[in-house]
Amino acid sequence: MRILLVEDDPDLGPAIRHALRTENFAVDLITNGIDAAHMGDTEHYDAAVLDLGLPALDGLSVLRAWRAADRALPVLILTARENWSDKVAGFKAGADDYLIKPFRVEELVMRLRALVRRAAGHAQPLLRCGPLSFDTQIGQFELQGLPLKLTAFEWRVLSQLMLRKEAVIERLDLLEKVYEGDADVDSNSLEVIIGRLRKKVGAELIETVRGRGYRLTCAA
Amino acid sequence: MTRLRSFQSLHARMLALSAIATLVALALAGWAIAGVLERFVTEGLDRRLDAEVSLLASTVDREGRIDRARLRQHLGALEGAGGWRWRILAPNQTLSSRDFPALDPGPPHPPLTPGMPEPKRPSLSDAERLHPLEGTREDGSRVHARELTIQSRSGPVTLVAAAPRAVVNRPILGALLPLLIALLALAILLGGASFLQLRIGLRPIRRLRDQVAALRTGARTIIDEDQPSELRPLAVELNALAEDNRSVLATARLSAANLAHALKTPVSALSLQLRDQPEAAAQVARVNATIRHHLARARSQTGNRRSSTALAPAVRDLVEVMFHVHADRMIPIVSDMGEELTVAVDATDLDELIGNVLDNAVRHASSRVTVIARHVPNNPRRIEIDIADDGAGIAKNERSAASRPGTRLDERGDGHGFGLSIVADLVSLYGGRMEMRDAPAGGLLVVLELPASDS
Repeated sequence: MRILLVEDDPDLGPAIRHALRTENFAVDLITNGIDAAHMGDTEHYDAAVLDLGLPALDGLSVLRAWRAADRALPVLILTARENWSDKVAGFKAGADDYLIKPFRVEELVMRLRALVRRAAGHAQPLLRCGPLSFDTQIGQFELQGLPLKLTAFEWRVLSQLMLRKEAVIERLDLLEKVYEGDADVDSNSLEVIIGRLRKKVGAELIETVRGRGYRLTCAA
Repeated sequence: MTRLRSFQSLHARMLALSAIATLVALALAGWAIAGVLERFVTEGLDRRLDAEVSLLASTVDREGRIDRARLRQHLGALEGAGGWRWRILAPNQTLSSRDFPALDPGPPHPPLTPGMPEPKRPSLSDAERLHPLEGTREDGSRVHARELTIQSRSGPVTLVAAAPRAVVNRPILGALLPLLIALLALAILLGGASFLQLRIGLRPIRRLRDQVAALRTGARTIIDEDQPSELRPLAVELNALAEDNRSVLATARLSAANLAHALKTPVSALSLQLRDQPEAAAQVARVNATIRHHLARARSQTGNRRSSTALAPAVRDLVEVMFHVHADRMIPIVSDMGEELTVAVDATDLDELIGNVLDNAVRHASSRVTVIARHVPNNPRRIEIDIADDGAGIAKNERSAASRPGTRLDERGDGHGFGLSIVADLVSLYGGRMEMRDAPAGGLLVVLELPASDS
């Protein structure tokens, strides 16, 4: 899962990025409103964490710009403004969730996972695919009821496949959701990750759709 | 400078003044009445003494001789009453009753006009020549006398009739007792009347005092300006003072709020960096709790009662927010209220009121939440908002703690009561009422009663 983190505080931004990376998220940190509006408009993210008090362009304006351009990415507003009136304004501008500073990282992570899961069209937090299950609340995969140990990259790829199980996911799309914006992407690395995942969950689960991408097939 | 404590009371001062004035007036009245009474009684006595003097005169002939036989004949009438005395002072003899009292020297006799007509029997026309005298008997008691000097051929004859002063004093004293009782009764009556008058007259001052006290404790935010004309300027000034005070307070609270806001981001960063150090993280959590507490307090104490906010749109927006904030709970919120309802509550504060209660309801509901608003029956000035869930409810003994204004969030661990105590603060700030009951569906029913706005 790749997250756009917009936070101008020089201490808080990197701290959140570090905490999210620990939870397997790919994170792009942006520190001003104009860059944030641009990134959200051009890159593909699973969700955005948006501070409201930003230099250059305030958070609500960034959000409105995205919505005006039909960008549907789930947005979680992270702010010190805790009035219900501020929340009303935030949701009216198109936010999907709202978290008040200071916050517990666990809560931010849980809410982000829930946002991404709901955006993919899943009402229930527990996703199943054949022998594989994914608890989106704690971000834990299980195979035949046993916890699965995955690296951050493996987790990102598998969670993408799981969220859109039975659907073909474009290679490029998958690459975008797995690597951070400034990462050096080796085009072969995705195949390496898929190969390792197949060893862990069973080769028949992850199907290669030639010329297009990959698909998680659950019926088998 | 020392001053009697009781005279620092307006009531006591005015009461004392009116008591003194009443007493002085009554003393003057008593003195005047006694004087008039004495004059009447003395005039009555004078007439009797004058009659005696006439009798004495009738025993003196033109030569200045005293007709003793005639005198003896009238002696009974002259000395009949105890202590009455008489004396005839003729040129060649003096006759008098025994122990005739010593008379004080009277005013000089009116000169006997030479060439006056023949002496004749004294008559009423002699009255102006009769003059009063005072004297003392041997036993020290005072006497009142009348004296007449008539001319005889052998010289002036002075006739004196005297009566004990007691004859005058006794009826006066007799009349004075009921008079004093009557005056005393009048004094008590007047005192009571002025006491009542003061109590009723000073009632607006007492009411003003109570209102100022209520202003200080926060039970009211303004003083009634519908006061008697003397007090109205004071009430207006007090309100202006209170308003100044409030704005100073509001500025201070705004600064506190800004400070708290500014602290939130660094505290967030700190708490993230200290995630792996539980003790330090606990300290940061305490800092955070303190910031939240003061921020919420600062916010909940600057209400603007002159606002007017439509209820239904605010509730709609908040219901929308709840769907997002509690997206996974999927609790439907059913609301029922007229579009015309407006409350005299600032829009931000109304959001805070409804938002906190609704948030609490959605958190605890098991299948649904209802919001119903209407005018309080028979009171178009109040609007009642009922927010009910069908969850487990709150135990009765915890309800009062949750809704007590100013309850600190760290007194309740779950943080849920925090919102309700803010609600209680805001409700009391706007002169409303908050009540928690058992909801029909089994959960908690929060009843908010808020002032309706004029429009």
